[in-house]
Amino acid sequence: MIRRSFTAVIEKNATFTADFSTEPYEAGWASEARWFLRVIEIAGTLRVTPQISPDGLFWCAEGSPPLVITQPGVYSAPLRHFGQWLRLAGEVRGENASVKTMVYLALKE
Amino acid sequence: MQRRGFLHGAMAASAVSPYAQPGQDAATDGFRRAILQADPRLSKFNPLPRILCHDDFDDGISGWCELVSNHDGNLDTLRPVMKDLRPPQLSNCTFFDIGTHGSVDGAYALKLATRPRPFHTAVAIKRLTYAKPGLVQFEMYFTFKAEQVFDGSRGRRAFDGNLSPSELNFGDFTIGNDICEGENGARYHCTLRYQNTDAGGAPVQKWMYATSVETTTKMDRQGQGQSQDFHVRSPGDWKEIPGGHQPLCFNETATKINWHYFRWVFDTARRRNTELQVNELTLDLRDIPVPAYDHPYRALNHLLNFLIDVRTHAPVRNFFFVDSVVISVDW
Repeated sequence: MIRRSFTAVIEKNATFTADFSTEPYEAGWASEARWFLRVIEIAGTLRVTPQISPDGLFWCAEGSPPLVITQPGVYSAPLRHFGQWLRLAGEVRGENASVKTMVYLALKE
Repeated sequence: MQRRGFLHGAMAASAVSPYAQPGQDAATDGFRRAILQADPRLSKFNPLPRILCHDDFDDGISGWCELVSNHDGNLDTLRPVMKDLRPPQLSNCTFFDIGTHGSVDGAYALKLATRPRPFHTAVAIKRLTYAKPGLVQFEMYFTFKAEQVFDGSRGRRAFDGNLSPSELNFGDFTIGNDICEGENGARYHCTLRYQNTDAGGAPVQKWMYATSVETTTKMDRQGQGQSQDFHVRSPGDWKEIPGGHQPLCFNETATKINWHYFRWVFDTARRRNTELQVNELTLDLRDIPVPAYDHPYRALNHLLNFLIDVRTHAPVRNFFFVDSVVISVDW
């Protein structure tokens, strides 16, 4: 059987000017995941940390180091052994800080 | 021909028999029915003669993807009402109190989840085309929930040990199609909605139909859009289906899910809905008007799209689960 995979677009050209969390996404069927951020515009610093949850309600850090982003471009972070729910916590720092980004979650069985 | 019941004997005589296929003799029909009824995956459905798809979400997403408005590559130009309709999820229906609930059979169901923002909508769409006009039947097992909230102030009634406050945090879900008959041919949507609550959170629990066409990107660019309900021109453009009051089985908490049988037939030869069955309730829809666009659309030849969506009315995530889907036709 070919391994199943699925890519979800979690944010579409979203602009963040303050700290944020992405919507909960269920990925219990997947054994591996990879976050992609295509940062289109950025002023200041974006620091994103993968978070995990057993129930989609209460969250903790997954344990991977955060991505610290100061320039437009494509960034990525892999995850394994994450349980059920995934989201990203984003911190937007700096004077008049703003980030416009696509966020993808690529999942694989 | 009378349809055979399988849901507590509740399968009513159908307005259109799924077994009345021209040119099919009784022996063939009986043999086909025996095969369907011996298959535990299909015997809970009543498909028309040709099954186009049987989507058991244990096998993946099966073509149900996020809907997005038309664009030219620049996602900044997406219409606000259709920019963020959320990616569907494969869910094993896990909740904070009991863990994994599971689906009707197997492990996974299709899940739609809104943001916790009033009138936010999550939509999944499956895109096909059709080879011949005629009957199309969409069957599924579904369940629905509002997300558990822990702040009592967001409940719209007190917990009395039976009725869940979260039931009134669930807005509505909608099942529809998108049909276009060909180059310069008629385009229309048959759109049915279960309205659980009104915008103020009072229970409604009725099946509705749309009375205006869905605003397309083309119309939106002409200034006709609104941001509360993408299915209709104005948010109030819905009417009750006669006899369509039906309290469903919410089951007392935000974390107990009970699956409901849903069967909807429409007719692309007549540009009409035909019939809706949800558990014990069967509604004849043949006289329900279906609004059509007064202008032509190109590049949509023989479009046959199916939409499922869930819309919250409250600052609480709403969920819609499906397991599984059978789409069948009489051609």
